[in-house]
Amino acid sequence: MTPTVSAFGLSLHYGRTRALDEVSLRLTPGVTGLLGPNGAGKTTLLRVLATAAPADRGTFTVLGHDPSGAAGRREVRRRLGYLPQTPGLHPHFTAFEFVDYVAILKELTDRAARHREVRRVLDEVGLADVRARSVGKLSGGTRRRVALAAALVGEPAFLVLDEPTVGLDPEQRMRFRELIAGAGEGRTVLLSTHQTEDVAMLCHRVLVLADGTVRFDGTPAELAARAAGRVWSSAERAPGARAGWRTGTGGHRNLGDPPPGADLLEPTLEDGYLLTLDEAGTEVAA
Amino acid sequence: MSAPLPDAPLPDAPPATADAPPGAGPRAVLALARFEARRLLLTAPVLLAFAGYALWIGWRTPSSWDGHPALQDVDRAAQGPPLLVGLAVLLGASLGVLRSHRHGTEEHFGVLPLTPWRRTVAHLLSVVPAALLTAVGVAVQFGWEALKPGAVGHGSPAELAVGPLSVLLFGAAGVLSARLARSPLAAPGLVVVLLGVVALGAGPDGTDGLSWLAPSVATGASTTFPSELLGRPAAWHVLYLAGLALTVALLAVFAAGGRTRAVSAGLALSLAAAVAGGTLQARGAAPSPELTAARERATLAPEKEQTCLRRGTTTYCAFPEWEPRTATWAAVVDRVRSRTGGPAREAPLLVRQRVEARYGPYDDSAIPPAEAPHQVTVGTSWGGNRVPEFSTAVAAVFVAGSESAGAELCDGRMVTVMWLSLSWQDDPVDALRRVRVDDSLSGPATVLAPTEPLSMTAAQTKVVRELLESPPPGVAERVREHWAELTAPGVTTAHAAGLLGASAPAPDEPTEEGEACEA
Repeated sequence: MTPTVSAFGLSLHYGRTRALDEVSLRLTPGVTGLLGPNGAGKTTLLRVLATAAPADRGTFTVLGHDPSGAAGRREVRRRLGYLPQTPGLHPHFTAFEFVDYVAILKELTDRAARHREVRRVLDEVGLADVRARSVGKLSGGTRRRVALAAALVGEPAFLVLDEPTVGLDPEQRMRFRELIAGAGEGRTVLLSTHQTEDVAMLCHRVLVLADGTVRFDGTPAELAARAAGRVWSSAERAPGARAGWRTGTGGHRNLGDPPPGADLLEPTLEDGYLLTLDEAGTEVAA
Repeated sequence: MSAPLPDAPLPDAPPATADAPPGAGPRAVLALARFEARRLLLTAPVLLAFAGYALWIGWRTPSSWDGHPALQDVDRAAQGPPLLVGLAVLLGASLGVLRSHRHGTEEHFGVLPLTPWRRTVAHLLSVVPAALLTAVGVAVQFGWEALKPGAVGHGSPAELAVGPLSVLLFGAAGVLSARLARSPLAAPGLVVVLLGVVALGAGPDGTDGLSWLAPSVATGASTTFPSELLGRPAAWHVLYLAGLALTVALLAVFAAGGRTRAVSAGLALSLAAAVAGGTLQARGAAPSPELTAARERATLAPEKEQTCLRRGTTTYCAFPEWEPRTATWAAVVDRVRSRTGGPAREAPLLVRQRVEARYGPYDDSAIPPAEAPHQVTVGTSWGGNRVPEFSTAVAAVFVAGSESAGAELCDGRMVTVMWLSLSWQDDPVDALRRVRVDDSLSGPATVLAPTEPLSMTAAQTKVVRELLESPPPGVAERVREHWAELTAPGVTTAHAAGLLGASAPAPDEPTEEGEACEA
């Protein structure tokens, strides 16, 4: 029953900007999605949990290890896989060499075992055929898979993925979702994304972050349910709608408090997400 | 604002990864060092440097020192090329450290268990194989020279260690520069600075204490000295280099965040070693009174330092390190003597090794000719042109009676001297060319010898060349038969030519010396 990650009251300020404000959460095995608009603090939260940046206040543990001390931080890092938002790669390394390099930095010191593990993760992300090719000669999507393999090497219990599908074409995104779903079996994955489809397809749980604060913590279905009875269609954009947009059929989809007799629609995850942001006072673009 | 924690039962957390086994960090450092070492050795500058080094050894060593190396010179000569390897390693190591910065992987690597300072240690250790390869290069070069049949003397392990230590020092400097200035221009800039420092050590004689701050000091051409007269503070220099390399390495670790007690203590110790070595080497750079006395003794009274060996009527006295070479000298003496006539065939001869050591190995003062009769000087170098030069000196003593008298020969006796000196050689005409200072085969010329040079007129050159190129029948018998006339002071070149069966030359253009000699 012990969560993989337990965080209490995490706060972080950049100068006068409040990036995180008293964030508390518990993460359990499976894929947890972290949704939020730009500037919500998603990357900051991921960097704190990945021990890349220390919080001003608050504590957290990963599998019982407190990273505030050097020894605890090392133990957390041994259990961590991290895919930054813009993962760097060494273009003159082969895919195998790069992942092997990361494996060494993860203190996998037995050469034969390490090489087996590197081959395993490259197979897992579908790169067995290109492991001897230079990273610089691979396509953007393939390079992203190399970075994911580097995050996965060493079988980390806690995987932090910062917008892993951004910039990928639909086919690559689908492929990546499959990989992340596979990675989420038996380990705890925290995935930040702008894409509600990512969350809908991958996550057993979703956190909505806005202005450095957790605004929602529940299942994707619960997030979608927040919009139940608050989504309707109309020929023109409804004046009282909190948000609305023209659909492909020419009508309008409206969010908010529907007028009596409105043509209610089945709510989606995105509807729930936008209403949650609206309730948090965050400007909703739609 | 705090979010509500989920109330639903939580799935079990994944099984905890075992805590880091003891020694995992150091083992990871070694694994990373191996990885980085392989990449370092495969970088273009390092590959090129080692290829150039190997080619240099393969090209230079077979013909170096004319096959007769003195190992106390070889050890210093092996220090130069490793400096170029070191500069390449500096560039490569710096690029290795900057790689994660240049390609944006710091964000990721920064959250991995192996901390930046341990990664820095790995980069520093990655330089070690390059230093070991350099040591192999030095060993091959030195071993090759030592195995030559004509090798004499002793190498100094301290001098031999300078090359590999320089590679370590430069590699550590590359890592430090990358840790301090995350710019790819830092290392090339440092290379320029180090080239200046290397130039500082390339001074004329290394007696300036400051010049010993350079990695390699005064390794250029010098007079070969007995080992004990070199007076180089090589051991202190090794302490200085090792201390400096370790200091630079630990500074890099310190800069990368490795501010542990062990690193601080190591830094203090290595700095102390560098300062101690630097101070003591500076003191040792100037000759001590004992060394000065020893050099004077070796110059003015070498008999006190030498051991002598008698072969027939010839005695060979050499500094101890050159004893194995007396047989080579004897072969020359015997060949020259076998062509003489009269009393010279049985006359006693003393071959004494001499060196002008009073002004240090980088002074090129000539040794004055020996005044004593029947004594000839042999130097500390051998092979190549030194052989006909010595042969000429031996011949001159047989003809003129003493080295000092031989140095003043200018009459027709020079024909006999040069024939005795060169006729036995494999390629006498080539030997004639090589023994003349201007490499000419006609006209007047200065003829080199271990002490003061001799001189040949144009007519003498013509006669000698004819005797060597197309010797008339029975020249050797004529020399023996007419020995007294050929070695009589004042004999003219034309008369000597006639006695030896060569064409009489046209008279020389009158010169001051010629007129005096041939009048």
